[in-house]
Amino acid sequence: MRSKLLMLSFAAICTFFSVAVSGQSYAITNARIVTVSGATIERGTVVVRDGLIHSVGANVSPPADATVFDAAGSTIYPGFIDAASNLGVPAPAAGPGGGGPGGGGGGGGQAAAAAAAAAAQSGSNSNYPAGFRPEVDVLDLIRAGDSQFDANRNAGFTTALSMGRTGIFSGQSAVINLAGNSVSSMTVKAPFAHHISFVTIPGTYPGSLLGTFSALRQIFNDAKRLQEMQRAYAADPKGMRRPETDKSLEALFPVINRQMPVVFSANRELEINRALDFMKEYNLVGIIAGGQEAWKLTDRLKAQNVPVLLSLNFPRRTAAASPDADPETLDILRFRAETPKGPGRLAQAGIKFAFSSGGATSIADYFSGAGKAVEGGLSRDAAIRAMTLGAAEILGVSDRVGSIEAGKIANLVVVKGDLFGRDRFASHVFVDGRLFEQKEQPRPAGPGGRGPGGAAPAAANFGGTYTISIDVPGQPLPATLNLQQQGTAITGTMVSQLGTSPISNGRATGNGFSFSATVQFGGASIDITVQGAVSGANVSGTVDSPQGNIPFTGTRNP
Amino acid sequence: MRKTTVFLTIVSLLMISPTLLVGQSKGDLLIKNATVMTATKGTLEGTDILVQNGKIARIGKGLTAGSGVRTIDATGKYVTPGIIDAHSHAMVSAINEGSLAVTSMTRIDDMLNPSDISIYRALAGGVTGALLLHGSANPIGGQSTTVKFKWGRPVNEFPVAGAPPGIKFALGENVKRSSSTPQPGQTPRYPRTRMGTMEVIRDAFIRAREYKQAWDDFRAKKTRVQPRIDEELQPMVEILEGKRKVHCHGYRSDEHLNILRIAEEFGFKIGTLQHGLEAFKIAPEIAKHGAGVSIFADSWSYKLEAYDSTPYTGYVLWKNGVNVSINSDSAERIRRLNLDAAKMMKYGGVPEQDSLRMITLNPAIQLGIDNRTGSIDVGKDADIAIWSGHPFSSLSLCEMTIIEGEVYFDRAKDKTMREQLAKEKADLEKLEMNRAPGSGGTQPRVPTERDRGHYSHGDEDGGHER
Repeated sequence: MRSKLLMLSFAAICTFFSVAVSGQSYAITNARIVTVSGATIERGTVVVRDGLIHSVGANVSPPADATVFDAAGSTIYPGFIDAASNLGVPAPAAGPGGGGPGGGGGGGGQAAAAAAAAAAQSGSNSNYPAGFRPEVDVLDLIRAGDSQFDANRNAGFTTALSMGRTGIFSGQSAVINLAGNSVSSMTVKAPFAHHISFVTIPGTYPGSLLGTFSALRQIFNDAKRLQEMQRAYAADPKGMRRPETDKSLEALFPVINRQMPVVFSANRELEINRALDFMKEYNLVGIIAGGQEAWKLTDRLKAQNVPVLLSLNFPRRTAAASPDADPETLDILRFRAETPKGPGRLAQAGIKFAFSSGGATSIADYFSGAGKAVEGGLSRDAAIRAMTLGAAEILGVSDRVGSIEAGKIANLVVVKGDLFGRDRFASHVFVDGRLFEQKEQPRPAGPGGRGPGGAAPAAANFGGTYTISIDVPGQPLPATLNLQQQGTAITGTMVSQLGTSPISNGRATGNGFSFSATVQFGGASIDITVQGAVSGANVSGTVDSPQGNIPFTGTRNP
Repeated sequence: MRKTTVFLTIVSLLMISPTLLVGQSKGDLLIKNATVMTATKGTLEGTDILVQNGKIARIGKGLTAGSGVRTIDATGKYVTPGIIDAHSHAMVSAINEGSLAVTSMTRIDDMLNPSDISIYRALAGGVTGALLLHGSANPIGGQSTTVKFKWGRPVNEFPVAGAPPGIKFALGENVKRSSSTPQPGQTPRYPRTRMGTMEVIRDAFIRAREYKQAWDDFRAKKTRVQPRIDEELQPMVEILEGKRKVHCHGYRSDEHLNILRIAEEFGFKIGTLQHGLEAFKIAPEIAKHGAGVSIFADSWSYKLEAYDSTPYTGYVLWKNGVNVSINSDSAERIRRLNLDAAKMMKYGGVPEQDSLRMITLNPAIQLGIDNRTGSIDVGKDADIAIWSGHPFSSLSLCEMTIIEGEVYFDRAKDKTMREQLAKEKADLEKLEMNRAPGSGGTQPRVPTERDRGHYSHGDEDGGHER
């Protein structure tokens, strides 16, 4: 009941922002127009009609029926594209579909029983280990609704590649527009690709990276064989036992036939090398997501014709100084220092790349990251391209989005101020020709005040002690959170029977907190992310681990 | 016409490779006036070694090399073959796939990390090559990789070309999870006893035999549908066919005897018994089977199943004609395997050359790479360590480590590099992205004692690795 009320109030807010419906026409006049596909028009007009860009140019006159906005002093860009995101995909609860716990097996006989047990626990009849569900379609996971995308759209994003969140195969991704009341109306292209992350499924097979690679090989071997058997059977079924149907393997047929790319999440040189090796071994059309050390491997990327969805979530030190900790390694110091120079080097080497938010907590990091890439040697034009048309090209949608051209989808953003500066403000965002207008808020006074457009508002204090119960299936796990907040940064510890874990990357969010921690379980170190919403004395949220998401509830101790 | 082409080729070669201009090609070296411990032909005083194209070309006195070839004056220094560690987990990102009892589908090859600092530290101890093994969590572990520590080279240059493939097996306490406590709700993994361990291994070979039969039938066109390519059973078939060496971790002699019997039952030979701290009890049986043994020089009684061991294990095995090597199984001990070899002389009196062979030629034989490395002989790869004094003295240091004629560790160069790196680090630490947050920030990770021990970190079975 309460959640329904909440949804209604969200919906009310959305209608407030979405001031008009599609079908209507708009003209934005006197603006600088960065078309990306062609020359920049220093002063011109863009006309939007029926969800499409009707016309663009220096000498275009607004149609009589159009709502006209004078955008003198502003710049129109193609709507920005987040080339790798989880937008619209809720953090999954533990249970059906997720990579739930249980024994699996990539092998033959020994693992059959374990696989059956895993399937029973995960609510799937798959023959493959947990984490191997290539048949999952992100369109079945995405929740429609404008409000989900407020923060990103207000920052100027109109399109994103949306990927599943969990598993070694995280399902088939889709390119979506960031507004719409149904998933079908939001979809720009689906399915786009399969996604592979070199992660593990603690407590089951594969519980280590060793097993991840072996299990990947086995599922690709099996997919190839099944396709051949099915073809042989279709040609002549007599005298042949019918091949099995297997939706996990069948989902991989387009990939082994090179009709669909596989996006490998790989950030450091070592991971990218492993991904490139795997693409080669199975002759895949590959893409790298993350790719912050891709600049070290430009020769290989070029030889294998692999583009990069480059994460702008640049690494930085988050740990406080401590005399007890080991000094940081040269490797990590160099990695942080070199990463902003990477995009420039990729451009220099002629590697195709697009920018992605890379799981950044704040979308403002995307723009500051792009700005740092420009400082690091990337041209401004190349940076803007990587945010728009470059992304559209890699995502296979450059015929409909990514540039300001007549006939393309009306995905546009009107920006006041410097795109890479703190005064950046997206006053008008068009998604499929629908206008979302933002009123510029007065700048908060005093030091540390940040402009709007994706910046965090002054956060409430969520410091304190919380007693929570994590809803581990069959075994609720009590825990205590000790949080201290300074500004929007949150530090502290998480204490449970699994031990005391210091928290990292802690931040106050709009209505609560989020942080990462590492817990020891079953002899393995498991990285978790905790998101909590605080309402009065109550707290609720999720613990996100590679095994899936587990809800928790609790109270804030007075 | 042809002359022009040849001329152009020469010009382009000169342009691409300036080193040709001074007559130096990769892997050429002359080591002068050393005390050379060959590991096969005794110790040669005042001897030169000429290296060409990465191979040992000549050994003798008064050797000369072409101009531009690097000459190392080794007067007063000792030269040995590069040390080979027959049991290491260096440069491996994940060591154990502990979820299943049989993980023959896993490959250490997938996990190589060429920037692991352990590689450089191993080089500093004169080590040039190693057998990189899966951990000991399972009766049948993963496929191993034999590498040379070519620090700074791309990862695909580390594995030794032509080295026979291997696989890790394991017996005893680690396998039956003696020291792991199941978490609430977790089902303990089978096997829980030593007899269960043997059953798992025998069962895997029976399944592999059936799998091989299915493929044989298909190849003989007796069946129409191609069998599955089974990542788990394929390497097991290679063992049955004698193409893949089994390196079997174990401590108690009864268990090691059992694995020899299983091998004989299925018609193959065990490559090495790893650790084998009780192997002296079954030395004649091991010699008869033809397996090698790779031991720790000491570590007696360090755990219950190692209780009966003695410092004389290596000696007794050697006396019985068993090929014995000494391994490190540790990023720390890998730097001082020369002293572990010295212990063989002290306890039991293994002769000097045979002791040296336990860290050079013998492991090379166990890994099947003795045709190209493991001793100072003409025609072999120039895998060489140069020592400040006798390598069995605790006062000696490895000064230079050479692989295929290329210098990968040079103590003098290392000293100058330390200053450069310290300065680079100080400069990097001043950058904004590397500075600790002004206020707040997350708690830094403070290392624990456990981190500094054996390969317990990243070990999915929760420790007790070796």
